[in-house]
Amino acid sequence: MSGLNMYLDPGSGSYLLQLLIASLLGGLLLLRMYWAKVKGFFRKLFGRPIDEEPE
Amino acid sequence: MKSRSEATREGASFRDPSGFVFYHGGTPHRQINEFYRVDYRQLMDSGLYQELVEARLLVPHEEVDLAAPMQELAYQVIRPEPIAFLSYPYEWCFGQLKDAALLTLKVQELALGRDMSLKDASAFNVQFQHGRPILIDTLSFERLKPGEPWIAYRQFCQHFLAPLALMARSDIRLGQWSRLAVDGVPLDLASRLLPWRTRLSFAMQVHIHLHARAQRRYAGEVVTKRRGGRAMSKQALLGLVSSLRSAVRALTWHPAGTAWADYAETHSYSDSSLAAKRAAVEEYLDRIQAKTVWDLGANTGEFSRLASRRGALTLAFDYDHGAVELNYRQVKKESEANLLPLVQDLTNPSPGVGWSSRERRSLMERGPADAVMALALIHHLAIANNVPLELVAGFLAALGRWLIVEFVPKQDPQVKRLLANREDIFGRYDRQGFEQDFARHFRIIDVRPLPDSDRCMYLMEALPQ
Repeated sequence: MSGLNMYLDPGSGSYLLQLLIASLLGGLLLLRMYWAKVKGFFRKLFGRPIDEEPE
Repeated sequence: MKSRSEATREGASFRDPSGFVFYHGGTPHRQINEFYRVDYRQLMDSGLYQELVEARLLVPHEEVDLAAPMQELAYQVIRPEPIAFLSYPYEWCFGQLKDAALLTLKVQELALGRDMSLKDASAFNVQFQHGRPILIDTLSFERLKPGEPWIAYRQFCQHFLAPLALMARSDIRLGQWSRLAVDGVPLDLASRLLPWRTRLSFAMQVHIHLHARAQRRYAGEVVTKRRGGRAMSKQALLGLVSSLRSAVRALTWHPAGTAWADYAETHSYSDSSLAAKRAAVEEYLDRIQAKTVWDLGANTGEFSRLASRRGALTLAFDYDHGAVELNYRQVKKESEANLLPLVQDLTNPSPGVGWSSRERRSLMERGPADAVMALALIHHLAIANNVPLELVAGFLAALGRWLIVEFVPKQDPQVKRLLANREDIFGRYDRQGFEQDFARHFRIIDVRPLPDSDRCMYLMEALPQ
């Protein structure tokens, strides 16, 4: 931990868990983005409106 | 410039060395400390502030030239747009907490895009303003530290994901846990209380169950020794936000079978009696011109809307979670800016909680309102909860100046039902006793019996205390 301006203890477990699953999280995001693109492509193909991601 | 002695510090604002909230002339201000200067400049200069404010995700503020209460630490004083009414996560319905969670994730996502990150993800940093959730802590952003995980991940899970999961998957009443646990629901507790099938969901498995195990496994460890060269890329941080978002979105709750959720269809009024009640409330509201109205026992907000549509900031309190949920959904659907539905049990209203019992204010401290509405409520307090009428009157007089109140006598089917299985120990519970006891705290301005019923509407004004 850098200790820089970290006024809440993030919790050792919460901190390490993220590092352990970091590449999985990044990979899943990529998959999700590609999936959205594929869906968008087919929607356009069939002339259906692209549903906006709700906030 | 005013002297520092005129500033009073907000009781909830002490944890963060970046600055604190104080009140000057009754309006909240925020001192930003030298300590936070670089982060604040990045928030303002990177375009993040503007982006968040334009999307109504972060409360806007002005930089003001005002003497800081702690000059030796100060960098800048800002005046944020004041929040009309402070409410707390344990007073929100499921939908409100869920929207606050999604807001927090949206803010984190946009912050990452500008090389910043939220250093807090406290549910108490969100408030409802003009019908929508908004982040009120301008100082919760920090510069992104390359390779570092999200500092507020644990807090997000404890404040949002765990209570939402408990409410959706175990029991809606577990939302009340955040009143006991000021820093959110401990994840080991959530993991134990959640049904086993939640382990089948990837996001729940990771962010609650595995997260709880990791906390136990690595408790007290110095993380620099355990990280083994691992780093968290920005892509991974965005992936974390995305994963948490889909976990939150997957949690849903629909009110069914709760006490009042179908009340509007089943209550005991004839059409003419309901119309007369409505007309009385409208006439009283027009007469008193209240700017703030607290509707106690508001159900799904049918009568609250008579006040909010007249421009009054109206709080619609009900102890039934389902009624508040339905009310909130309507607020969202109609984009109603003046109505805030909240869960509140009037027989046990929100106390002051947290450090010195002053971090989160009690309900009473957040009053008084200009006007209080108590429709079809008195019998619940006086009969179901055995509160003597004079104490009910004293309680209501402390909450607001004007009172629009309905008296429901013993002959009424609703009261008969409450008394069906118990001894009638309420000798004074009749119109005369009601008027006598209320006259100790109020001046009775108008009385109006409702047709086809034994109920009566009253307009009263609290006597000076």
